[in-house]
Amino acid sequence: MQFFSLFTTYRELLSELTWREIKQRYKQSILGYAWVILNPLIQMLVMAFVFSKILRVESLGVPYAVFLYVGLLPWNFFSGALAGATGSLVANAGLITKIYFPREVFVLSAILAKVVDLFLALSVLVVFLIYYHISLSWHIVWVVPIFGIQLIFTYGLSLFLAAANLLYRDIQYVLGLGLIVWMYLTPVIYPTEMFPDRYRWIFQINPMAVFINAYRQVILAAGEPNYMSLGIAAVVSTSVLMLGYWFFKKLEGVFADVV
Amino acid sequence: MNKLASAITIQNVSKLYYKQHQRTLKEFIPALLGRNKTHETFWAVKNIDLEVKKGESIGIIGPNGSGKSTLLKLIAGVTQPTSGSISVTGRIAPLIELGAGFHPELTGRENVFLNGVILGMTRAEIEKKFKTIVDFAELWEFIDQPIKHYSSGMYLRLAFAVAIHTDPEILLIDEILAVGDHEFQRKCVTRIEEMKKNKVTIVVVSHSPDLIREHTEHALWLEGGEVKDSGGAKKVVAKYFG
Repeated sequence: MQFFSLFTTYRELLSELTWREIKQRYKQSILGYAWVILNPLIQMLVMAFVFSKILRVESLGVPYAVFLYVGLLPWNFFSGALAGATGSLVANAGLITKIYFPREVFVLSAILAKVVDLFLALSVLVVFLIYYHISLSWHIVWVVPIFGIQLIFTYGLSLFLAAANLLYRDIQYVLGLGLIVWMYLTPVIYPTEMFPDRYRWIFQINPMAVFINAYRQVILAAGEPNYMSLGIAAVVSTSVLMLGYWFFKKLEGVFADVV
Repeated sequence: MNKLASAITIQNVSKLYYKQHQRTLKEFIPALLGRNKTHETFWAVKNIDLEVKKGESIGIIGPNGSGKSTLLKLIAGVTQPTSGSISVTGRIAPLIELGAGFHPELTGRENVFLNGVILGMTRAEIEKKFKTIVDFAELWEFIDQPIKHYSSGMYLRLAFAVAIHTDPEILLIDEILAVGDHEFQRKCVTRIEEMKKNKVTIVVVSHSPDLIREHTEHALWLEGGEVKDSGGAKKVVAKYFG
Protein backbone atom coordinates (compact mmCIF):
# COMPACT_ATOMS: atom_id res chain seq x y z
CA MET A 1 0.00 0.00 0.00
CA GLN A 2 1.13 3.48 -0.82
CA PHE A 3 0.81 4.66 2.76
CA PHE A 4 3.50 2.27 3.96
CA SER A 5 6.01 3.02 1.20
CA LEU A 6 7.84 5.35 3.60
CA PHE A 7 8.73 2.35 5.72
CA THR A 8 9.76 0.14 2.81
CA THR A 9 10.95 1.73 -0.44
CA TYR A 10 11.74 5.10 1.13
CA ARG A 11 13.03 3.87 4.47
CA GLU A 12 16.57 5.13 3.93
CA LEU A 13 15.39 8.48 2.67
CA LEU A 14 13.20 8.85 5.75
CA SER A 15 16.06 8.09 8.11
CA GLU A 16 18.53 10.26 6.18
CA LEU A 17 16.20 13.26 6.29
CA THR A 18 15.48 12.67 9.97
CA TRP A 19 19.20 12.68 10.75
CA ARG A 20 19.73 15.80 8.70
CA GLU A 21 17.00 17.46 10.73
CA ILE A 22 18.63 16.41 14.00
CA LYS A 23 22.24 17.12 13.06
CA GLN A 24 21.70 20.54 11.58
CA ARG A 25 19.75 21.92 14.49
CA TYR A 26 22.44 22.40 17.07
CA LYS A 27 25.55 22.38 14.91
CA GLN A 28 26.31 26.03 15.55
CA SER A 29 25.79 25.96 19.31
CA ILE A 30 28.32 25.29 22.06
CA LEU A 31 26.10 23.13 24.22
CA GLY A 32 24.75 21.34 21.17
CA TYR A 33 22.31 18.64 22.00
CA ALA A 34 22.31 19.48 25.69
CA TRP A 35 19.69 22.08 24.79
CA VAL A 36 17.21 19.33 24.12
CA ILE A 37 17.41 18.42 27.80
CA LEU A 38 18.07 21.88 29.25
CA ASN A 39 15.11 23.46 27.53
CA PRO A 40 12.29 21.40 29.01
CA LEU A 41 14.16 21.13 32.32
CA ILE A 42 14.39 24.87 32.82
CA GLN A 43 10.88 25.38 31.51
CA MET A 44 9.67 22.81 34.01
CA LEU A 45 11.57 24.32 36.95
CA VAL A 46 10.17 27.79 36.31
CA MET A 47 6.65 26.53 35.82
CA ALA A 48 6.92 24.26 38.84
CA PHE A 49 7.91 27.22 40.99
CA VAL A 50 5.07 29.42 39.75
CA PHE A 51 2.31 26.82 39.83
CA SER A 52 3.19 24.94 42.99
CA LYS A 53 4.64 27.68 45.21
CA ILE A 54 2.64 30.71 44.07
CA LEU A 55 -0.60 29.39 42.59
CA ARG A 56 -0.65 26.18 44.61
CA VAL A 57 -1.98 23.87 41.95
CA GLU A 58 -2.87 20.38 43.22
CA SER A 59 -0.86 17.49 41.85
CA LEU A 60 -2.55 14.22 42.83
CA GLY A 61 -0.25 13.24 45.65
CA VAL A 62 3.04 13.38 43.75
CA PRO A 63 5.53 16.28 43.78
CA TYR A 64 4.25 18.92 41.39
CA ALA A 65 7.51 19.01 39.43
CA VAL A 66 7.11 15.37 38.43
CA PHE A 67 3.40 15.74 37.83
CA LEU A 68 4.10 18.66 35.51
CA TYR A 69 6.99 17.05 33.67
CA VAL A 70 4.99 13.93 32.79
CA GLY A 71 2.47 16.21 31.07
CA LEU A 72 4.94 18.71 29.69
CA LEU A 73 7.10 16.18 27.82
CA PRO A 74 4.37 14.74 25.60
CA TRP A 75 2.91 18.22 25.14
CA ASN A 76 6.23 19.74 24.08
CA PHE A 77 6.73 16.86 21.70
CA PHE A 78 3.29 17.42 20.21
CA SER A 79 3.63 21.17 19.75
CA GLY A 80 7.23 20.96 18.53
CA ALA A 81 6.39 18.21 16.05
CA LEU A 82 3.38 20.10 14.69
CA ALA A 83 5.38 23.30 14.29
CA GLY A 84 8.28 21.49 12.61
CA ALA A 85 6.05 19.44 10.33
CA THR A 86 3.93 22.42 9.31
CA GLY A 87 6.96 24.26 7.99
CA SER A 88 8.64 21.16 6.57
CA LEU A 89 7.33 21.40 3.01
CA VAL A 90 8.16 25.08 2.70
CA ALA A 91 11.64 24.44 4.13
CA ASN A 92 12.22 21.77 1.49
CA ALA A 93 10.86 23.75 -1.43
CA GLY A 94 14.18 23.31 -3.23
CA LEU A 95 13.72 19.56 -3.30
CA ILE A 96 10.00 19.56 -3.97
CA THR A 97 10.44 21.38 -7.26
CA LYS A 98 13.30 19.16 -8.40
CA ILE A 99 12.74 15.54 -7.70
CA TYR A 100 9.85 13.25 -7.03
CA PHE A 101 9.34 11.05 -4.01
CA PRO A 102 6.38 10.91 -1.65
CA ARG A 103 6.22 14.34 -0.04
CA GLU A 104 4.98 13.08 3.30
CA VAL A 105 8.54 11.95 3.94
CA PHE A 106 9.34 15.57 4.91
CA VAL A 107 6.43 15.69 7.34
CA LEU A 108 7.25 12.40 8.99
CA SER A 109 10.99 13.09 9.25
CA ALA A 110 10.24 16.41 10.99
CA ILE A 111 8.13 14.50 13.52
CA LEU A 112 10.65 11.70 14.01
CA ALA A 113 13.40 14.22 14.73
CA LYS A 114 11.28 15.41 17.66
CA VAL A 115 10.82 11.86 18.86
CA VAL A 116 14.59 11.68 19.31
CA ASP A 117 14.45 14.93 21.32
CA LEU A 118 11.71 13.47 23.46
CA PHE A 119 13.78 10.40 24.28
CA LEU A 120 16.69 12.56 25.40
CA ALA A 121 14.45 14.78 27.54
CA LEU A 122 13.04 11.61 29.07
CA SER A 123 16.32 11.05 30.89
CA VAL A 124 15.46 13.93 33.23
CA LEU A 125 12.18 12.26 34.08
CA VAL A 126 13.98 9.07 35.01
CA VAL A 127 16.19 11.05 37.40
CA PHE A 128 13.13 12.67 38.96
CA LEU A 129 11.29 9.38 39.37
CA ILE A 130 14.29 7.97 41.22
CA TYR A 131 14.89 11.10 43.28
CA TYR A 132 11.30 11.25 44.52
CA HIS A 133 11.12 7.47 45.07
CA ILE A 134 8.10 7.08 42.84
CA SER A 135 7.31 3.40 42.61
CA LEU A 136 6.38 2.14 39.19
CA SER A 137 4.22 -0.83 38.29
CA TRP A 138 4.09 -2.98 35.18
CA HIS A 139 1.30 -0.69 33.97
CA ILE A 140 4.07 1.57 32.75
CA VAL A 141 4.31 -0.54 29.58
CA TRP A 142 1.10 1.21 28.56
CA VAL A 143 3.27 4.21 27.73
CA VAL A 144 4.22 2.50 24.47
CA PRO A 145 0.72 2.11 22.96
CA ILE A 146 -0.35 5.51 24.31
CA PHE A 147 2.61 7.12 22.57
CA GLY A 148 1.82 5.13 19.44
CA ILE A 149 -1.67 6.59 19.34
CA GLN A 150 -0.28 10.06 20.04
CA LEU A 151 2.10 9.64 17.09
CA ILE A 152 -0.76 8.66 14.80
CA PHE A 153 -2.71 11.72 15.90
CA THR A 154 0.30 14.01 15.48
CA TYR A 155 1.14 12.66 12.04
CA GLY A 156 -2.44 12.98 10.82
CA LEU A 157 -2.78 16.57 11.98
CA SER A 158 0.66 17.43 10.60
CA LEU A 159 -0.29 16.22 7.12
CA PHE A 160 -3.23 18.64 7.09
CA LEU A 161 -1.21 21.56 8.39
CA ALA A 162 1.84 21.04 6.18
CA ALA A 163 -0.23 20.87 2.99
CA ALA A 164 -2.39 23.83 3.97
CA ASN A 165 0.65 25.89 4.95
CA LEU A 166 2.07 25.43 1.49
CA LEU A 167 -0.98 27.17 0.07
CA TYR A 168 -1.25 29.83 2.75
CA ARG A 169 1.56 30.68 5.11
CA ASP A 170 -1.00 31.96 7.62
CA ILE A 171 -1.32 28.43 8.87
CA GLN A 172 2.00 28.53 10.71
CA TYR A 173 0.98 31.69 12.58
CA VAL A 174 -2.48 30.41 13.35
CA LEU A 175 -0.84 27.24 14.63
CA GLY A 176 1.36 29.15 17.09
CA LEU A 177 -1.68 30.83 18.57
CA GLY A 178 -3.79 27.70 18.42
CA LEU A 179 -1.21 25.69 20.34
CA ILE A 180 -1.21 28.19 23.23
CA VAL A 181 -4.99 27.97 23.54
CA TRP A 182 -4.88 24.22 23.14
CA MET A 183 -2.31 23.81 25.90
CA TYR A 184 -4.52 25.66 28.40
CA LEU A 185 -7.43 23.43 27.41
CA THR A 186 -5.33 20.36 28.09
CA PRO A 187 -4.45 19.23 31.62
CA VAL A 188 -0.73 19.89 31.25
CA ILE A 189 -0.08 22.29 34.13
CA TYR A 190 -3.13 21.34 36.22
CA PRO A 191 -4.93 18.07 36.97
CA THR A 192 -8.25 17.29 35.29
CA GLU A 193 -9.91 17.40 38.72
CA MET A 194 -9.37 21.16 38.99
CA PHE A 195 -11.16 21.85 35.73
CA PRO A 196 -14.81 22.97 36.12
CA ASP A 197 -17.20 20.02 35.79
CA ARG A 198 -19.33 21.82 33.27
CA TYR A 199 -16.49 22.05 30.81
CA ARG A 200 -14.96 18.64 31.48
CA TRP A 201 -16.34 17.37 28.13
CA ILE A 202 -13.60 19.37 26.42
CA PHE A 203 -11.11 16.77 27.64
CA GLN A 204 -13.18 14.02 26.15
CA ILE A 205 -12.99 15.42 22.64
CA ASN A 206 -9.38 16.51 23.06
CA PRO A 207 -7.11 13.53 22.37
CA MET A 208 -4.15 15.34 23.92
CA ALA A 209 -6.00 15.49 27.25
CA VAL A 210 -6.67 11.76 27.01
CA PHE A 211 -3.02 10.99 26.31
CA ILE A 212 -1.64 13.14 29.11
CA ASN A 213 -4.11 11.79 31.66
CA ALA A 214 -3.24 8.29 30.53
CA TYR A 215 0.52 8.90 30.89
CA ARG A 216 0.02 10.21 34.42
CA GLN A 217 -2.23 7.32 35.28
CA VAL A 218 0.20 4.62 34.15
CA ILE A 219 3.42 6.30 35.30
CA LEU A 220 2.55 8.23 38.46
CA ALA A 221 -0.57 6.46 39.76
CA ALA A 222 0.71 2.99 38.84
CA GLY A 223 -2.75 2.20 37.48
CA GLU A 224 -4.50 1.23 34.30
CA PRO A 225 -5.43 3.88 31.78
CA ASN A 226 -9.07 4.73 31.11
CA TYR A 227 -9.64 2.18 28.35
CA MET A 228 -12.81 3.84 27.12
CA SER A 229 -11.21 7.26 26.63
CA LEU A 230 -8.08 5.76 25.12
CA GLY A 231 -10.15 3.66 22.73
CA ILE A 232 -12.07 6.71 21.56
CA ALA A 233 -8.81 8.65 21.18
CA ALA A 234 -7.41 5.80 19.10
CA VAL A 235 -10.41 5.87 16.77
CA VAL A 236 -10.27 9.67 16.50
CA SER A 237 -6.52 9.59 15.84
CA THR A 238 -6.78 6.97 13.14
CA SER A 239 -9.58 8.92 11.45
CA VAL A 240 -7.52 12.10 11.60
CA LEU A 241 -4.60 10.28 9.99
CA MET A 242 -6.75 8.79 7.24
CA LEU A 243 -8.34 12.15 6.45
CA GLY A 244 -5.02 13.97 6.70
CA TYR A 245 -3.35 11.51 4.39
CA TRP A 246 -6.18 11.74 1.87
CA PHE A 247 -6.08 15.55 1.95
CA PHE A 248 -2.29 15.59 1.62
CA LYS A 249 -2.27 13.19 -1.31
CA LYS A 250 -5.03 15.12 -3.03
CA LEU A 251 -2.97 18.30 -2.93
CA GLU A 252 0.42 16.66 -3.48
CA GLY A 253 0.25 17.04 -7.27
CA VAL A 254 0.25 20.83 -7.05
CA PHE A 255 2.92 21.22 -4.33
CA ALA A 256 5.68 21.92 -6.85
CA ASP A 257 3.48 24.51 -8.58
CA VAL A 258 2.55 26.55 -5.50
CA VAL A 259 5.59 26.33 -3.27
CA MET B 1 14.83 -5.96 -23.86
CA ASN B 2 13.71 -4.31 -27.08
CA LYS B 3 16.41 -1.97 -28.26
CA LEU B 4 13.82 0.56 -29.34
CA ALA B 5 11.86 0.51 -26.10
CA SER B 6 10.55 3.91 -25.20
CA ALA B 7 12.03 5.68 -22.17
CA ILE B 8 9.88 8.80 -22.27
CA THR B 9 6.55 9.12 -24.04
CA ILE B 10 4.79 12.46 -23.96
CA GLN B 11 1.41 12.70 -25.62
CA ASN B 12 -0.30 16.00 -26.25
CA VAL B 13 0.82 17.40 -22.90
CA SER B 14 -0.15 20.88 -21.72
CA LYS B 15 0.52 22.57 -18.43
CA LEU B 16 -1.48 25.51 -17.15
CA TYR B 17 0.09 27.51 -14.35
CA TYR B 18 -1.75 29.54 -11.81
CA LYS B 19 0.12 32.54 -10.66
CA GLN B 20 -1.33 33.47 -7.34
CA HIS B 21 -0.68 37.05 -6.35
CA GLN B 22 -1.55 36.78 -2.68
CA ARG B 23 0.46 34.53 -0.44
CA THR B 24 -1.50 35.16 2.79
CA LEU B 25 -5.19 35.22 3.62
CA LYS B 26 -4.82 38.82 4.73
CA GLU B 27 -3.92 39.72 1.18
CA PHE B 28 -6.20 37.21 -0.43
CA ILE B 29 -9.53 38.06 1.20
CA PRO B 30 -9.55 41.83 0.42
CA ALA B 31 -8.50 41.02 -3.13
CA LEU B 32 -11.36 38.59 -3.45
CA LEU B 33 -13.88 41.04 -1.99
CA GLY B 34 -12.52 43.93 -4.01
CA ARG B 35 -12.79 41.73 -7.10
CA ASN B 36 -9.16 42.26 -7.84
CA LYS B 37 -7.46 39.56 -9.76
CA THR B 38 -6.45 36.83 -7.35
CA HIS B 39 -4.51 34.87 -9.90
CA GLU B 40 -3.38 34.76 -13.48
CA THR B 41 -3.09 31.70 -15.63
CA PHE B 42 -0.75 30.92 -18.46
CA TRP B 43 0.19 27.90 -20.50
CA ALA B 44 3.77 26.98 -19.69
CA VAL B 45 3.78 24.22 -22.29
CA LYS B 46 1.12 23.43 -24.85
CA ASN B 47 0.35 20.35 -26.93
CA ILE B 48 3.76 18.77 -26.63
CA ASP B 49 4.37 15.39 -28.26
CA LEU B 50 7.68 13.72 -27.73
CA GLU B 51 9.10 10.26 -27.71
CA VAL B 52 12.58 9.46 -26.49
CA LYS B 53 13.77 5.92 -26.93
CA LYS B 54 15.97 4.15 -24.46
CA GLY B 55 19.58 5.20 -24.88
CA GLU B 56 18.78 8.23 -27.02
CA SER B 57 19.83 11.73 -26.15
CA ILE B 58 17.86 14.85 -26.82
CA GLY B 59 18.56 18.54 -26.33
CA ILE B 60 15.82 21.04 -25.58
CA ILE B 61 16.44 24.56 -26.80
CA GLY B 62 14.46 27.77 -26.86
CA PRO B 63 14.47 31.27 -25.39
CA ASN B 64 13.88 31.98 -21.69
CA GLY B 65 10.31 31.28 -20.64
CA SER B 66 9.64 28.95 -23.54
CA GLY B 67 8.75 26.07 -21.25
CA LYS B 68 12.00 24.10 -21.27
CA SER B 69 12.29 23.74 -17.52
CA THR B 70 8.59 23.03 -17.14
CA LEU B 71 8.95 20.18 -19.61
CA LEU B 72 11.85 18.83 -17.59
CA LYS B 73 9.80 19.05 -14.40
CA LEU B 74 6.96 17.19 -16.08
CA ILE B 75 9.35 14.43 -17.10
CA ALA B 76 10.83 14.32 -13.59
CA GLY B 77 7.30 13.88 -12.25
CA VAL B 78 7.43 16.77 -9.81
CA THR B 79 4.53 18.51 -11.49
CA GLN B 80 1.44 17.05 -13.13
CA PRO B 81 0.28 17.90 -16.66
CA THR B 82 -3.02 19.76 -16.93
CA SER B 83 -3.90 17.57 -19.89
CA GLY B 84 -2.24 14.85 -21.90
CA SER B 85 -0.19 11.95 -20.66
CA ILE B 86 3.42 11.25 -19.81
CA SER B 87 4.97 7.89 -19.24
CA VAL B 88 8.52 7.44 -18.10
CA THR B 89 10.23 4.07 -17.77
CA GLY B 90 13.39 3.80 -15.71
CA ARG B 91 15.11 5.43 -12.80
CA ILE B 92 15.45 9.17 -13.25
CA ALA B 93 18.28 11.31 -11.92
CA PRO B 94 17.56 14.97 -12.29
CA LEU B 95 20.53 17.31 -12.43
CA ILE B 96 18.26 20.29 -12.09
CA GLU B 97 19.74 23.06 -9.98
CA LEU B 98 22.37 20.95 -8.39
CA GLY B 99 22.68 20.50 -4.69
CA ALA B 100 19.06 21.13 -3.83
CA GLY B 101 19.43 18.37 -1.28
CA PHE B 102 22.57 19.79 0.30
CA HIS B 103 22.65 21.27 3.74
CA PRO B 104 25.25 23.97 4.47
CA GLU B 105 25.81 23.00 8.11
CA LEU B 106 26.61 19.39 7.29
CA THR B 107 30.01 18.17 6.12
CA GLY B 108 30.81 17.18 2.56
CA ARG B 109 30.75 13.52 3.59
CA GLU B 110 27.35 13.82 5.27
CA ASN B 111 26.00 15.67 2.27
CA VAL B 112 27.17 12.99 -0.16
CA PHE B 113 25.08 10.44 1.71
CA LEU B 114 22.12 12.77 2.14
CA ASN B 115 22.05 13.80 -1.50
CA GLY B 116 22.73 10.27 -2.73
CA VAL B 117 19.77 8.89 -0.83
CA ILE B 118 17.59 11.75 -2.05
CA LEU B 119 18.57 10.83 -5.60
CA GLY B 120 17.47 7.27 -4.99
CA MET B 121 20.62 5.40 -3.99
CA THR B 122 20.87 3.23 -0.92
CA ARG B 123 23.46 3.95 1.77
CA ALA B 124 25.26 0.74 0.86
CA GLU B 125 25.53 1.80 -2.78
CA ILE B 126 26.88 5.19 -1.78
CA GLU B 127 29.45 3.64 0.52
CA LYS B 128 30.67 1.53 -2.37
CA LYS B 129 30.97 4.54 -4.65
CA PHE B 130 32.11 7.03 -2.06
CA LYS B 131 35.74 6.94 -3.15
CA THR B 132 34.85 7.35 -6.83
CA ILE B 133 32.55 10.26 -6.02
CA VAL B 134 35.10 12.16 -3.97
CA ASP B 135 37.82 11.37 -6.50
CA PHE B 136 35.65 12.79 -9.23
CA ALA B 137 34.94 15.92 -7.21
CA GLU B 138 38.62 16.19 -6.17
CA LEU B 139 37.56 17.19 -2.68
CA TRP B 140 39.34 14.79 -0.33
CA GLU B 141 40.94 17.66 1.51
CA PHE B 142 37.64 19.26 2.48
CA ILE B 143 35.34 16.29 2.69
CA ASP B 144 34.92 16.51 6.48
CA GLN B 145 34.26 20.23 6.58
CA PRO B 146 30.82 21.81 6.60
CA ILE B 147 30.03 22.72 3.02
CA LYS B 148 29.10 26.27 3.97
CA HIS B 149 32.85 26.85 3.83
CA TYR B 150 33.01 25.56 0.25
CA SER B 151 33.41 27.85 -2.72
CA SER B 152 30.57 27.68 -5.22
CA GLY B 153 32.82 25.74 -7.56
CA MET B 154 33.54 23.10 -4.93
CA TYR B 155 29.88 22.90 -4.07
CA LEU B 156 29.00 22.30 -7.68
CA ARG B 157 31.70 19.70 -8.12
CA LEU B 158 30.47 17.69 -5.19
CA ALA B 159 26.84 17.93 -6.23
CA PHE B 160 27.61 16.90 -9.77
CA ALA B 161 29.84 14.06 -8.64
CA VAL B 162 27.03 12.60 -6.55
CA ALA B 163 24.35 13.03 -9.17
CA ILE B 164 26.38 11.52 -11.94
CA HIS B 165 27.18 8.40 -9.95
CA THR B 166 23.59 7.45 -9.21
CA ASP B 167 23.48 5.06 -12.19
CA PRO B 168 20.31 6.52 -13.62
CA GLU B 169 18.51 5.11 -16.63
CA ILE B 170 17.37 8.60 -17.52
CA LEU B 171 19.48 11.67 -16.85
CA LEU B 172 17.87 15.11 -16.87
CA ILE B 173 20.27 18.03 -17.17
CA ASP B 174 19.19 21.64 -16.81
CA GLU B 175 21.88 24.15 -17.75
CA ILE B 176 24.22 22.93 -15.08
CA LEU B 177 27.28 22.74 -17.24
CA ALA B 178 27.32 26.49 -17.57
CA VAL B 179 28.99 26.65 -14.15
CA GLY B 180 32.29 25.27 -12.93
CA ASP B 181 35.73 25.68 -14.43
CA HIS B 182 36.63 24.54 -17.88
CA GLU B 183 38.46 21.42 -16.86
CA PHE B 184 35.67 20.20 -14.66
CA GLN B 185 33.15 20.85 -17.42
CA ARG B 186 35.19 18.66 -19.73
CA LYS B 187 35.27 15.96 -17.13
CA CYS B 188 31.49 16.09 -16.82
CA VAL B 189 31.00 15.89 -20.55
CA THR B 190 33.32 12.89 -20.71
CA ARG B 191 31.30 11.21 -18.00
CA ILE B 192 28.05 11.96 -19.83
CA GLU B 193 29.46 10.47 -23.03
CA GLU B 194 30.37 7.39 -21.04
CA MET B 195 26.81 7.15 -19.76
CA LYS B 196 25.50 7.50 -23.30
CA LYS B 197 27.56 4.50 -24.31
CA ASN B 198 25.96 2.61 -21.46
CA LYS B 199 22.51 3.28 -22.95
CA VAL B 200 21.48 5.96 -20.49
CA THR B 201 18.74 8.16 -21.88
CA ILE B 202 19.71 11.82 -21.68
CA VAL B 203 17.62 14.96 -21.80
CA VAL B 204 19.55 18.24 -21.77
CA VAL B 205 18.25 21.77 -21.54
CA SER B 206 20.91 24.17 -22.70
CA HIS B 207 21.61 27.50 -24.30
CA SER B 208 24.87 26.22 -25.66
CA PRO B 209 24.63 25.28 -29.36
CA ASP B 210 27.89 23.34 -29.17
CA LEU B 211 26.73 21.17 -26.33
CA ILE B 212 23.51 20.21 -28.10
CA ARG B 213 25.13 19.73 -31.49
CA GLU B 214 27.99 17.62 -30.28
CA HIS B 215 26.43 15.59 -27.52
CA THR B 216 22.81 14.92 -28.40
CA GLU B 217 21.29 13.16 -31.39
CA HIS B 218 17.96 14.92 -31.39
CA ALA B 219 16.78 18.38 -30.52
CA LEU B 220 13.46 19.93 -29.60
CA TRP B 221 12.96 23.64 -30.11
CA LEU B 222 10.35 25.25 -27.89
CA GLU B 223 8.89 28.69 -28.41
CA GLY B 224 6.16 30.09 -26.16
CA GLY B 225 5.47 26.64 -24.75
CA GLU B 226 4.94 25.03 -28.13
CA VAL B 227 7.14 22.92 -30.35
CA LYS B 228 8.61 25.07 -33.08
CA ASP B 229 10.78 22.39 -34.59
CA SER B 230 12.21 19.00 -33.77
CA GLY B 231 14.45 16.45 -35.39
CA GLY B 232 18.17 15.85 -35.81
CA ALA B 233 20.20 17.96 -33.41
CA LYS B 234 22.46 19.51 -36.07
CA LYS B 235 19.57 20.57 -38.27
CA VAL B 236 17.43 22.07 -35.48
CA VAL B 237 20.35 23.86 -33.83
CA ALA B 238 21.39 25.33 -37.17
CA LYS B 239 17.89 26.72 -37.69
CA TYR B 240 17.55 28.02 -34.15
CA PHE B 241 20.88 29.79 -34.03
CA GLY B 242 20.91 30.63 -37.70
